[in-house]
Amino acid sequence: MDINRRKFLKLGAVAGTAAVCAVAKPAAARELPDIDPDWYGMLNDSTRCIGCKSCMVACKKENKLPPESTLGDAEGFGAPLYDSPRELSEKTYTLIQLARDEKSGTESFVKRQCMHCADPACGSACIVGALKKQKNGAVTYDAGMCMGCRYCMVACPFGVPQFEWHNALPSIRKCTLCSKTRLEKGQPTACASTCPAGAITFGKRSDLLKIARERITAEPQRYLDQIYGENEVGGTCVLYLSKKDVAFAGIGLPPFAYQPVSSLTESIQHRIFQYFIPPIAVYGVLGGIMYYNQSRKKQAEQGGDDE
Amino acid sequence: MSSKALPLRQKFFTGNVAILLGFMGFGVVFAYFRFFHGFGSVTNLSKAYPFGLWIAFDVACGVALAAGGFTTAAIVEIFGRHRYQALVRPAILTAFIGYFLVGFAVFFDLGKYYNIWHALIYWNGTSVLFEVAWCVMLYLTVLGIENLPNVVEQFKDRVDLPGALARLNRPANGLLHRIDWCCGKTMAFFVIAGVVLSFGHQSSLGTMMLVAPYKLSPLWYTPLSPLLFLTSAVSVGIPMVIFEGTLAAKFFGRKPETELLSGIAGYVPMFLGTYLLIRIGDLAYRGVLAQAFDGSVQGNAFLVEFALFAVPYFLLKRDKVRSHPAGLFCCALSVILAVVLNRCNVFLIGMDMGRGWSYFPAVGEWAVTFAFLAFGVLLYKIGVNYLPILEAEHD
Repeated sequence: MDINRRKFLKLGAVAGTAAVCAVAKPAAARELPDIDPDWYGMLNDSTRCIGCKSCMVACKKENKLPPESTLGDAEGFGAPLYDSPRELSEKTYTLIQLARDEKSGTESFVKRQCMHCADPACGSACIVGALKKQKNGAVTYDAGMCMGCRYCMVACPFGVPQFEWHNALPSIRKCTLCSKTRLEKGQPTACASTCPAGAITFGKRSDLLKIARERITAEPQRYLDQIYGENEVGGTCVLYLSKKDVAFAGIGLPPFAYQPVSSLTESIQHRIFQYFIPPIAVYGVLGGIMYYNQSRKKQAEQGGDDE
Repeated sequence: MSSKALPLRQKFFTGNVAILLGFMGFGVVFAYFRFFHGFGSVTNLSKAYPFGLWIAFDVACGVALAAGGFTTAAIVEIFGRHRYQALVRPAILTAFIGYFLVGFAVFFDLGKYYNIWHALIYWNGTSVLFEVAWCVMLYLTVLGIENLPNVVEQFKDRVDLPGALARLNRPANGLLHRIDWCCGKTMAFFVIAGVVLSFGHQSSLGTMMLVAPYKLSPLWYTPLSPLLFLTSAVSVGIPMVIFEGTLAAKFFGRKPETELLSGIAGYVPMFLGTYLLIRIGDLAYRGVLAQAFDGSVQGNAFLVEFALFAVPYFLLKRDKVRSHPAGLFCCALSVILAVVLNRCNVFLIGMDMGRGWSYFPAVGEWAVTFAFLAFGVLLYKIGVNYLPILEAEHD
């Protein structure tokens, strides 16, 4: 009898493990996201940017953001302090950084802001769906829904979402693509309309790709033959062009894979909860084992055979 | 062999309780700053490390270490090892306290804690966190129900409300009988539900950091992460029961249940072996084993983590180690530390944020975490002191 039971237990354990394995195995790479040709976006041409930071001023003005200082970093900066942020923050939605390519030593300015991904990892991760891809292409944030868990910050590969660390009732802050304040009124983004060097082009993503391609074909000695954001992380609405001898990795745009960042988590989640079959199956197996053991116990008790 | 669980009814306010309250006091001070002056005033969190000690330890480790509840329940109630019945009540109580504290810790860590209920009404099915939140909520409810019979047993036929409320004695008692009857009829349903829900969120915690493929080190970034989290949680269930059982016996001046504990410890190598097999197989298959020996912080953290898992696997296979109380305790502790380090590795140490970003918990974060631990121990003492949790000693 005991051997039988052992066998049964072992079989159960093996079946259970197999079931879990099947569930945990990730599905084949999820399909690439559908890209709406009407999404708006921006083309940042780092060969044109002169580093004047007009876009940062315009952004601050548009979003009514407070100034930043280096007061907290007095040690590193010495006595004269500066008013320029060095990273994106809850007070700075866009930022101009100077980057030097490791190989060629060529310097170029690069603009940072939300990439407005076609399939945003932040939106996939958000527990309540407070971050959403809008019809106009912007990835927007709803502070009223947000719980402040900061999972979006973990998920974003570009480190865009920022948290108000010094606010008692904090929210996430990030570039909005001027969705509410300008796009809905038919205006281009604040940074694009203010750029004096023509380094930021606003338009529909499909048009921007054409413009970028034209620029590369017209001046192949000037441009690197790649449009960053065309495919990376499933495509982004903010696209980049770089100087011929400056790799995108050199201006802080890593060579990310083409599938969306959240493809693995989503396929695992999808597997486990497909029609709730796996949880119900596990429930059924456990229920069967429990029923078997309970009835055995009852039989043993009736037979006066105490365990 | 069957004996009855009874409340301990020991003196409650002892020196140890004062120490616990002291820890909680410190936590409350820092909690004030966190809630009224923002995270920046208490924590070392940054844009690169939005998750810190409160998520890595209080939540991720908290959930894993509360696995004693579902593993014990599964072994005894589902797989019919009724010999270990005495271990079920304390394990279920600790799991309830553990999950309660996890929920409390989440509340602390949420920027907009007053929106915590939004998880109920705004559903985002693609979010791993959404699934974890629901499973934890449901499992906490199930644990509450599983603990209900203990409360009922304590007060049934003994309802004695003071003063004017005495009129309610009879209806209250009737209600208790009603609950008792319902619990008896439906408990099997909840026991299995508890195990299934645990499977769900224990594994999903492993999926969580997979949303950051470009940040998490390949030593931990694997599609099998959910399975590894599940098997390691199952492995740490019994060690937690041993750890608590030994400490409770020591601090409440009871005879340790060495025979029971070393008996149930016999299952641990099976679970640990499964975990280690998957872990090694996965690392070898993905060809990242060499990274463990590159001398980096992450590589070394992995080696320590692995050793803490592997050593008790070999030791617990020996009868001699299992029947030796100190040896058993050390093995249990090793597995617990292994799981704690593993969760910290996945959530903090293994997250490579590059370029000069680093994170070490601030004093305030430690203080709040220790306050939670102290609160948990205090709740356990209240539980076993006033409810029939631990078996009466029979000498």
